[in-house]
Amino acid sequence: MVQIFRPGADTLARLALAALAVGPVLAVGLAYTLWRSPYATAQDVTREQPVPFSHEHHVGGLGIDCRYCHTSVEQAAFAGIPPTETCMSCHSQIWTNAPMLAPVRTSLAEGRPLVWRRVHTLPDYVYFNHSVHVAKGVGCATCHGPIQTMKLVRQAAPLTMGWCLDCHRDPAPNLRPREAVFDMAWTPPDDQDVQGARLAAAYHVKSPERLSECSICHR
Amino acid sequence: MPPLTPRLPELRRREALHLLAAGIAAAVGGCAKPDEEILPYVHQPEALLPGVPARYATTLSLAGWGRGAQGLAVDGRPIKIEGNPLHPASRGATDVFMEASVLDLYDPDRSRAVTERRSGIASWEMFGQAYARPLAEARARGGAGFRLLTGRVTSPSLQRQIAALRTAMPEAVWHVHEPLDEPRARAGAALAFGRPLRALPRLERAEIVVCLGADPLGPGPDQIRLAAGFMERRRDPARFGRLYVAEGLPTLSGIKADERRAVPPHGLPGLLVHLANGFGAGLPDPGLAEPERAFAEAIRLDLQAHRGRALVLAGEALAPDFHALAHWLNARLAAPVDWIAPPDPMPGDGPEDAPGDIAGLARDMEAGRVSCLAILGCNPVLTAPADLDLPGLIRRVGFSLHVGCHADESAGATHWHLPLAHELETWSDLRGPDGTASLVQPLVRPLYGGRSAHEILSLLAGEPARSGYAIVRETWSGQGGADSEGWWRRCLHDGVIPDSAAAPLTLPEPALPALPPLPGPPAAGLTLELTADPSLWDGRFANNAWLQECPRPITKQVWGNAVLLSHGEARRRGVEAGQMVSLTAGGRSLAVPVAVVSGVADGVAGLSLGYGRASAGRIGNGIGSDAYALATQAAPRLIRDVALTPLDDRRAVLRTQNYVEIAGETERLFRRIDLAALAGAEPKGVGADQPTLLAPWTGDADGHAWGMAIDTMACIGCNACVLACQSENNVPVVGPEEIARGRMMHWLRVDIYDAGKPERIEAGFQPVPCMHCEHAPCEPVCPVAASVHDGEGLNLQVYNRCLGTRFCEANCPYKVRRFNFFGYADGQEYASLGAEPVKAQRNPNVTVRARGVMEKCTYCVQRIASERQAAERDGRPMGAVATACQSACPTRAIRFGDLNAEGSAVAAARSDPRHYALMAELNTRPRTTYLAELRSPSPALSGDRP
Repeated sequence: MVQIFRPGADTLARLALAALAVGPVLAVGLAYTLWRSPYATAQDVTREQPVPFSHEHHVGGLGIDCRYCHTSVEQAAFAGIPPTETCMSCHSQIWTNAPMLAPVRTSLAEGRPLVWRRVHTLPDYVYFNHSVHVAKGVGCATCHGPIQTMKLVRQAAPLTMGWCLDCHRDPAPNLRPREAVFDMAWTPPDDQDVQGARLAAAYHVKSPERLSECSICHR
Repeated sequence: MPPLTPRLPELRRREALHLLAAGIAAAVGGCAKPDEEILPYVHQPEALLPGVPARYATTLSLAGWGRGAQGLAVDGRPIKIEGNPLHPASRGATDVFMEASVLDLYDPDRSRAVTERRSGIASWEMFGQAYARPLAEARARGGAGFRLLTGRVTSPSLQRQIAALRTAMPEAVWHVHEPLDEPRARAGAALAFGRPLRALPRLERAEIVVCLGADPLGPGPDQIRLAAGFMERRRDPARFGRLYVAEGLPTLSGIKADERRAVPPHGLPGLLVHLANGFGAGLPDPGLAEPERAFAEAIRLDLQAHRGRALVLAGEALAPDFHALAHWLNARLAAPVDWIAPPDPMPGDGPEDAPGDIAGLARDMEAGRVSCLAILGCNPVLTAPADLDLPGLIRRVGFSLHVGCHADESAGATHWHLPLAHELETWSDLRGPDGTASLVQPLVRPLYGGRSAHEILSLLAGEPARSGYAIVRETWSGQGGADSEGWWRRCLHDGVIPDSAAAPLTLPEPALPALPPLPGPPAAGLTLELTADPSLWDGRFANNAWLQECPRPITKQVWGNAVLLSHGEARRRGVEAGQMVSLTAGGRSLAVPVAVVSGVADGVAGLSLGYGRASAGRIGNGIGSDAYALATQAAPRLIRDVALTPLDDRRAVLRTQNYVEIAGETERLFRRIDLAALAGAEPKGVGADQPTLLAPWTGDADGHAWGMAIDTMACIGCNACVLACQSENNVPVVGPEEIARGRMMHWLRVDIYDAGKPERIEAGFQPVPCMHCEHAPCEPVCPVAASVHDGEGLNLQVYNRCLGTRFCEANCPYKVRRFNFFGYADGQEYASLGAEPVKAQRNPNVTVRARGVMEKCTYCVQRIASERQAAERDGRPMGAVATACQSACPTRAIRFGDLNAEGSAVAAARSDPRHYALMAELNTRPRTTYLAELRSPSPALSGDRP
């Protein structure tokens, strides 16, 4: 009598049963990985810009302070993107005919804004406030990474809610003295644990319970 | 992906699979972040902070009267209106019309182009060419045949321009038509004092107020000032006084009255004569029947005991002679009324240069004496008495033009239509009801290419083109002494011209007028009162969806009007609620549904104006029935002897609160105390002592505990808070179909509770936002923890967690949660509300909720957060936070604040003897609590009460 099942059928059946059990777990894992992957979070994605503005040159090389261009970072939720005239305050004197800067000159001449592509995007129901973070001693580099080395800006952190909460639940490791907030070369001291806790108390950083409440960021 | 609403044809299998595949593709693609752009300024304005609201003082008008406002603009987009505390007509508060004006600004149905009747869209240049000939002809004749028709003009600049136009063309005539004006009050004052005057009742000084058909607390240009003054005094129990109201239809004043009687309009003069006789008028006795006589006697005794602190107000239902009698009586009482010279020239005023009225214009058009007619900023084809046949007459005019924000009914009757810019887009100036001048400054450039009334009038006068700013600036040039520029900038900053209120006049004793015989009841029919609509006013706001969906204070009707009848009258005439009836008067008739309402006098019917419009726009067209069809020159507002014929069909009267009578229940839900019992009253706590299954309240993390106290005694039910909430919190409009399904979205509703009998309304208002319960029943039932508490006591709704089980809504005893059955704000907007310009109105600090998400009052968490963040940034303690509803309230009935803060008004309210919590027996421990309604019924009338 001919065997209906070949000897390998048992193995196949066992594999199928295992797949039934493991498959959903893997699928969830895959979805979760995809969701946290740079594809979804746009982490480390470098975006083309109308003018290849280099933070490496302006910040790292020339040492221009962040607040020279991002003027509202200490007063408002939005740090501010500089108006064309800020660019032209220097570039009407130097590199006046650089082809790279043609869009900037056109913008000023025609009164049309430059159209930048946004690099750091948060969902619409998240209300992040730059001014509070700056006042509490969170450095620019903490979230934006080593901007002074970026030829074109990329998003250094995943900007997921889990990533935000990591700090909101334990801010001390990420705090620095207020005067060092805009210092791109600052490195944490060896006793950052102690210093961070001291700064959290000095700057009245709210308790982790309070900082992880929904209404802190969502409205 | 198209919305899967039932309006779409049913999907076939293949289409469904296509959509499914597209959905999966979109979902995978949606994992990646969307490409967004940032557009910085080229030249950034100094002191502008991106994303931070900036406030500008400006002025908004109602019926021509200016009320000071502050416009909030984010990145150049006006998003919200608040009151200007320096302006006497708004006192920092708003009303529904002010709140809704910001939606009007973005209305995509506003007219966008100059149009000519035959060839359609034209341009300003083409109009200029076409207008050159009629203007030259009119000029050659000294202006003969040239007519200008406007609404009420209080603007000093516009008055100056009109005067200049009349100087240049002496034969030109200016006509004024303001549909909801008070011509009888004006004529009455002229009868009593021999000159046109405007009365400013000082309710803050009047303890006994008697309203005979008058509605000082009701909607209108002076509502905020009057209501604020009235309630300011009532907060002091020693000066509480008593409000007597006799009226045919229930009004807000009637609801707030201590003693109210439903009296048909023809019964009001008798009451007044009886009162006047008590002060030596010596008129023939009106022979009042018993219940009215006792009522009048009680009033008379109170008036006599409160000389200098008592006031009698007559309404438009009374003839001018009786207004004059009321003025005579007020003089006897030394009543707190200020008299000023009217800041607005109106027809019928004595002087030679007083404008003409619309009837005169119609006569002249009929006689062919009008060759060029300019209608500026009003809609006479809709609002003029029906027996004038204005559209037909306008067609006889050689050259006619209409200037307005919308291409409305009047635009359809004229040769040309010119778009008018919105008040938030123009420079101008306006005077308030007390004569205070204030400046109108634009918050944004004209969105749809309109021009201001000043610019257009300058064009019509044939002057070289000038900006509206230059015209307004010239009016005020030379003011302020040496530092004229500094003075101007200060006025712009404050919004108000200092010391510009009209000075109160000292007048001689008014003469006792010779009275006509008292009117009798109409022969057989009903007396029909045509009233201003609490939301649409005279119809000019018909295309505003917020106002259409704002429940009318007493009937709670939305999206339409209905003829109001008393229970007895409806029974007698064999009609029931929702049934269509035909109202016939003077050969004209109108089909309208019936609403049966408590407090309407027998023999009286009420109908509000402004509905049934043909050319309002996509929102307002065809909503309700046009009551102007019954108005005539002889009887513009009060029509005697209207025949009511029941029709066979029905039309649903959409109401957001059903009238229910629950024996005993009302008393528990709506606490009411008589003034005499106030001394013995005890504050009621927020909870019961019973144990609870809910997690215990763990206290407040930062020492803040937000709470709200609502004083129902001060609430006049005006709905300003409802619309303030709507505009602040991006609350969507659902439209009449959804309302008919019992769905609505207002985060704050104003309930009306009636403890009286069907024929004897004894009602009060109770605004109901979220209670932010410490033991919130909505929280334990949410399977995804979308309803949670924060450490400051706010009950939060986390939209991005919510998956729409609606368990929370079912478990909320206060029914304050609202569900997005469709994408009301997000892709499935009602009518034209999904248009791109409307989105610019939205508050960027509040999430726009998607379909399938629950939402509710947040205590304006964005305002709390803004203040908290500003305080954190500056290293200071948090200052006061005002919710949108609180800052809008004219009577300051809503108080919000920190229960833990020292000297906080909300904490103090909790120990007020009138304090109570809604459904305290449920032990939800609400953070929103109430102060009881307080009334002072007359002891002399105690036998007359049910």
